[in-house]
Amino acid sequence: MLVLLAVHAAAALVAPLLVRSLGRTAFVGLALVPAAAFAWILTQLPAVLGGQAHGEGFTWIPALGVEVAVRLDPLSAMLSLLVTGVGALVVLYCARYFTPSSGGLPRFAGVLLAFAGAMLALVWADDVVMLYVCWELTTIFSFLLVGQDAHKRASRAAAMQALTVTAAGGLTMLVGLVILAEAAGSYRLSAIVAAGPTLGGAAVTAGVVCVLVGALSKSALIPFHFWLPSAMAAPTPVSAFLHAAAMVKAGVYLVLRFAPGFADDAGWRPVIAIAAALTMLLGGIVAARQTDLKLLLAHGTVSQLGFMLLLAGAGTRDAALAAAGLVVAHALFKSALFLTVGVIDRCAGTRDLRELSGLARRAPVLAVVGTLAAASMAGIPPLFGFVTKEGAFEAFLHRAYGPWAGVLLAVVVLGSVLTVAYSARFVLGAFTDVFTTGGRSEWIRPGALFLAAPAVLGLASLVAGFAVGPITPLLTGYADTLAASYPTPLQLKLWPGFTVALGLSALAIVLGLLLALPRVIEPLSRVRPLNAVRSEVTWRALVHAVEKGALRVTVQTQRGSLQVVLCTVLGVLLLGPGVVLVASGALSEIRVDRFADSPAQVVAALLAVVSTVAAARAKRRLAAVLLVGGLGYAVAVIFALAGAPDVALTQALVETMTLVVVVLVLRRLPADITEHHTPARRWARLAIAAPIGVLVALLGATALGSRTAEPVSRAFPSQAYGFGAGQNVVNVTLVDIRAWDTIGELSVLLAAATGVASLVFLDRRTGTPPGARRRRRAPVGPGPVAGSGWLRGPTLERLARQLRPGPRVTERTLLLEVVTRLVFPTIMVLSIYFLFAGHNAPGGGFAGGLLAGLALVVRYVAGGRYELGEAAPVEAGTLLGAGLLLAGLSGAAGLLLGGEVLQTYVIEGDVPVLGHVKFVSSLVFDVGVYLIVVGLVLDILRSLGAELDRLGDTPGPSNSPTRPSGQEVPA
Amino acid sequence: MNPAATVVESLLPLPVLLPLLGAGAALVLAGRPTLQRWVSVGVLSAVVVVAAVLVAGAAERPRVVTVGSWPAPLGITLVADQLSTIMLLTSMSVTLLVLLYAIGQGTSDDDSRTPVSIFHPTYLVLAAGVANAFLSGDLFNLYVGFEVLLMASYVLLTLGGTRSRVRAGLTYVVVNVVSSLIFLAGIALVYAAVGTLNLAQISERMAAVPAGTQLTIHLVLLTAFGIKAAVFPLSAWLPDSYPTAAAPVTAVFAGLLTKVGVYSIIRTQTLLFPGDTVARDILMVAALLTMVIGALGAIAQDDIKRVLSFTLVSHIGYMIFGVALGTAAGVGAAVFYVVHHITVQATLFCVAGLVERVGGSTSTTRLAGLAAASPLLAVLYFVPAINLGGIPPLSGFVGKLGLIEAGVQDGSVLAWFLVGGAVLTSLLTLYAMAKVWVLAFWRPRDQLPVEHPEDAEVNDLDVADDPDRRYPVMIGAGRGRTGAESYSGALLGAPSAVADQEREVVALPRAMTAATGALVAVGLALTVFAGPLYSLTDRAAADLTARTPYVQAVFAQAVDDRVVR
Repeated sequence: MLVLLAVHAAAALVAPLLVRSLGRTAFVGLALVPAAAFAWILTQLPAVLGGQAHGEGFTWIPALGVEVAVRLDPLSAMLSLLVTGVGALVVLYCARYFTPSSGGLPRFAGVLLAFAGAMLALVWADDVVMLYVCWELTTIFSFLLVGQDAHKRASRAAAMQALTVTAAGGLTMLVGLVILAEAAGSYRLSAIVAAGPTLGGAAVTAGVVCVLVGALSKSALIPFHFWLPSAMAAPTPVSAFLHAAAMVKAGVYLVLRFAPGFADDAGWRPVIAIAAALTMLLGGIVAARQTDLKLLLAHGTVSQLGFMLLLAGAGTRDAALAAAGLVVAHALFKSALFLTVGVIDRCAGTRDLRELSGLARRAPVLAVVGTLAAASMAGIPPLFGFVTKEGAFEAFLHRAYGPWAGVLLAVVVLGSVLTVAYSARFVLGAFTDVFTTGGRSEWIRPGALFLAAPAVLGLASLVAGFAVGPITPLLTGYADTLAASYPTPLQLKLWPGFTVALGLSALAIVLGLLLALPRVIEPLSRVRPLNAVRSEVTWRALVHAVEKGALRVTVQTQRGSLQVVLCTVLGVLLLGPGVVLVASGALSEIRVDRFADSPAQVVAALLAVVSTVAAARAKRRLAAVLLVGGLGYAVAVIFALAGAPDVALTQALVETMTLVVVVLVLRRLPADITEHHTPARRWARLAIAAPIGVLVALLGATALGSRTAEPVSRAFPSQAYGFGAGQNVVNVTLVDIRAWDTIGELSVLLAAATGVASLVFLDRRTGTPPGARRRRRAPVGPGPVAGSGWLRGPTLERLARQLRPGPRVTERTLLLEVVTRLVFPTIMVLSIYFLFAGHNAPGGGFAGGLLAGLALVVRYVAGGRYELGEAAPVEAGTLLGAGLLLAGLSGAAGLLLGGEVLQTYVIEGDVPVLGHVKFVSSLVFDVGVYLIVVGLVLDILRSLGAELDRLGDTPGPSNSPTRPSGQEVPA
Repeated sequence: MNPAATVVESLLPLPVLLPLLGAGAALVLAGRPTLQRWVSVGVLSAVVVVAAVLVAGAAERPRVVTVGSWPAPLGITLVADQLSTIMLLTSMSVTLLVLLYAIGQGTSDDDSRTPVSIFHPTYLVLAAGVANAFLSGDLFNLYVGFEVLLMASYVLLTLGGTRSRVRAGLTYVVVNVVSSLIFLAGIALVYAAVGTLNLAQISERMAAVPAGTQLTIHLVLLTAFGIKAAVFPLSAWLPDSYPTAAAPVTAVFAGLLTKVGVYSIIRTQTLLFPGDTVARDILMVAALLTMVIGALGAIAQDDIKRVLSFTLVSHIGYMIFGVALGTAAGVGAAVFYVVHHITVQATLFCVAGLVERVGGSTSTTRLAGLAAASPLLAVLYFVPAINLGGIPPLSGFVGKLGLIEAGVQDGSVLAWFLVGGAVLTSLLTLYAMAKVWVLAFWRPRDQLPVEHPEDAEVNDLDVADDPDRRYPVMIGAGRGRTGAESYSGALLGAPSAVADQEREVVALPRAMTAATGALVAVGLALTVFAGPLYSLTDRAAADLTARTPYVQAVFAQAVDDRVVR
């Protein structure tokens, strides 16, 4: 069985190639695939009907209990015979239905074969998950098939509709299946059904209803019925296969499959009976009014599906037998009818019964086939449709649905009247001129191959009527799994004798024929209100409601405003941790044993608070920045007071560096803060900000008060010296204990530097240093330029200015140049000292790097951008990259030496000149830190300093930082 | 320690270290783009191999490395348990494929403006950050991992510096900085309460902390991670910022960044604060809202990238659902779903880049006829799209099935709501994806609306018209949002021409297509090998919910270290 499914899959993949090379005739070969499956099932029939179900399978997802399991029992044998038999004929039919020039045929062939395989797997599946998989696969393939003519708006809409409706049902069904499977403790379909009668409770009933929703949606029952008529936009072979024989039967199959286990569940019969009875009637009424033959069949199918489900859901043996018979009969006659319509459509160019004329004369074979099939649909003896309809009447006479049998019998008889009516309308409309108003005369003779499939199916309806005896075991094989509810079990017979059912049949035929008369049906079909049952209205309303609702929700939740987002975040913080903090009584954990550690701490804290408040109220940008800096320095003081001079030093240096950077940027911004807010808005912000501040403080106090264990950092000082070979705990922490953090932060710096450059330089990341460029292209100046001789940068700048005067020429002070010249080497030496001494004294690579960076700042401020190029004639990127490489390699060295990553090694020895030297390998790491920090500062000076200078010098409108001109200033 | 064990353990730091070294090298090699590319590709390929070895290694027991040999509570521990390694392998594979896509895009553009020397180092730093977050066994180091990947993401998001990107970048940066602050505050609280940053030790010590304090700290951390993971109502920043970035950048962001947040939530829920019912219920409600509101947002969009941004948010809800359940089944399904979602979402954003290339736009009001123009592109879109829509047997379905099973097993009222919400979201997602398909792929070009309606109805409604609600943009304020302008002049960019009906359809660039095809193939492989993969995630979840394997591994290593010393 799995082999056959694999063959289908392979055929689906090969089909496009075949069709591309052989054209439409390739369908003849492809038809062999389902035909082979058909033949195989036939060979298995004796064993299966003898009670030996054939099963295969393997586990797919053991953790979820999902298997790929197939099982051939009488029910699946019956349905799979239909699926493969009709499937083979439909594929064959495609070879002539499509013209050689039809577009998208290769794709169509592949999808059709894939669908056939999925459908076959669906009826074979013995695992509910696999069942669902196949179920949705048929949905998705049907989406593609219905949308075959995607250039037509109607096709696209219909495909979308069918997809959405059946997927909605399918998902509901999935939930139901999982509920039932969890209740039954197995995902095996057979096991679940077997366990069915023992299960009960609200969850199981919910599961049952969910499964039924899936079945109803797939079989196009009310309230899901509307997708099927719309799906008639599909090519006719698709309608014949999907919408007559196969996919819509999936719902019926599901109900038949679950009925033995769950028909007695409280949710089962009411849901099915109401939906199915309504569908049967309304579908029939609408069908009888159609003028498009295909739509007539589509609504007729809806009606018949209601009929089938009504029987299938009854849960009695006799009803099940009738249902099984009806499924077979319907598959035969309805696909024959669809294929007939396909021939008519292709050969006459229309399928409107008001335009068709004289087909009985021109196409006698087709007329016979169509009439046979329609007669079977109407339940005229001796066709198979008659046999099954008799069986259906009997089943209700045998009290299917208990007390409601009478009512439902009336519904079924009424439905049959309608069926006869639209069957007659079909025959009269298609082949005679009864309804013809404006006839079309053209008719292309269909070839034998084109007629073969409908002819075989039409004749099958006739043959099956006589062969009801041999067919019966196939049907009873399933029906007998249900308990007989009536003393004399139903037997399907061609001639039942004069029974009540026969009388009902006769009644239905007579009334139906009367109804079909043009004089009767024409006035009826002009009654407009019946249009309300039509699909489009419901569907559009629903889609519009969802789309509108989606829009409304999105507008509310997605304001596109940063402020709203931030307020939401802070609001969540207040409502979550804030409320819990108060409500849970956690505040009682707070312990206050002293006000402050020292008076100086209070001063520093006050300084911090004052600068914060003042910063928030500042009117000018520079003031705000300086005030925020004040906060930073105050924090540095607090660190220092707490006995952490190293952290304080770093904090102060970082603060200074930040100020420099921000001031560099501020040169390009208006001096005043230009955004003004209404007082109400300011108060609203305060109302969020102040509680957040209080909350964080309280959270901190609570957490400290709740402390349960000694912090690990108590061990740091001793470990730092003992294991890290350094006396500066902070430095050892940075470069050794938590060096892994540091290496991460180094890459943060690196990314930040490249990011700044990326935004400012936009197109030339490497932004050749001005100095370096000058060296390559020596200025051809008009003559010697006077310079102080203390710094080269200003001289170069003057040179450049002479060549191309800029808008601003700033003269620099000689004093600053002199001081810079003198101080720069000193700062650099100090920074190197910090780097090397850091392991045991305050300092370290980070502080050292920052200091070196500040030295560069001084050079830039004193000498301008050319001076910067002079001071650091290297690429910032190279420094950054080299730093990270150094730090990373020093980390990897530990691995290579057989230790852990970032492991520290200590090498001690006597070196000439220097004396006794203790080399700690983490110094290499620290050098990496140093380089990256210098690189970062250099990068920032280049981009926010020098590049902004250059952009400022460049005349023209395009000097905005986000949109710099791509041109160079000629130097 | 036996020698075989040390091989795995010595490989453990490499997923972080290698990309960092690569980033350094790429910067030094600034002038040599070809070499840079080789470095990036080589490094990430190596990381994928290492990650695969780690997955195998972690299947046995969680692997632990104490960095610098500092024993567990003192120094930083790196822990590779099954969750970390699964996440690592998935994310690094996707990162590698997206890198190839980006290279393809950059090369085929032959754009001298492409600032490759920023892209490669930053991209590698991003990879290192993600890897570090997954492997870290230390709360503060997890924060460092976040910072690394975020800083890199700031750079990548604003690459090219167009107005829309800078605007979007501002939202992104500010929100993420705030979330990092909250995370940092959370770390401080944790340290204040239990005096340690080592995850395993926190998990041991936290039980002794008074319940109220525990819950507040728990919620602070969840708020921080909720922003990163884009859980409703903390998700609004994402659809505002992601769609403007270059296609490969969005692809890798969508695949990875939110998942790092999800990963952290998984750790928080399973390792640090297991079994808290209040947080559980909060998370479940958030998951429900995230799923449904996100999916509705996807329906309301008509730009593919925005649709995808909303589905991204929406499906985070699935993962949170599983995690919130807290059962092994729920967490296992969530982990599986993460793997699926990383792949499929990155794939779809790559496809969106191709669509932009071929159709000149990503707006469904301008796109049409793609299926006819490029059947291959149609397949590349269709398969991941229905995968995202939960069509079986694809991996998205498997994940959802696991979640539904876990929800049904749980049986609480909230769980039932979530099962319903999950199903509804699946349907809405399918609808959104099918809508794009129908409009952009099936609709023929001649049926495009003659006048492009200025997306007014749908698109402009979600940006506030009220001038007060505008983004406070420092540089280059402007209101262009999803127009052609946002996509023009892109780094790895796209032709800026607006699609008009006569526009010639551009051929698919080969390298980008190949990379996208590989991503689709990975997605299909997740389906084919769903069985073993699900067993893996299930075992991971069993270990997570049991907690002891993780904690024991960390402290066993600590004991080892002491012995060694």
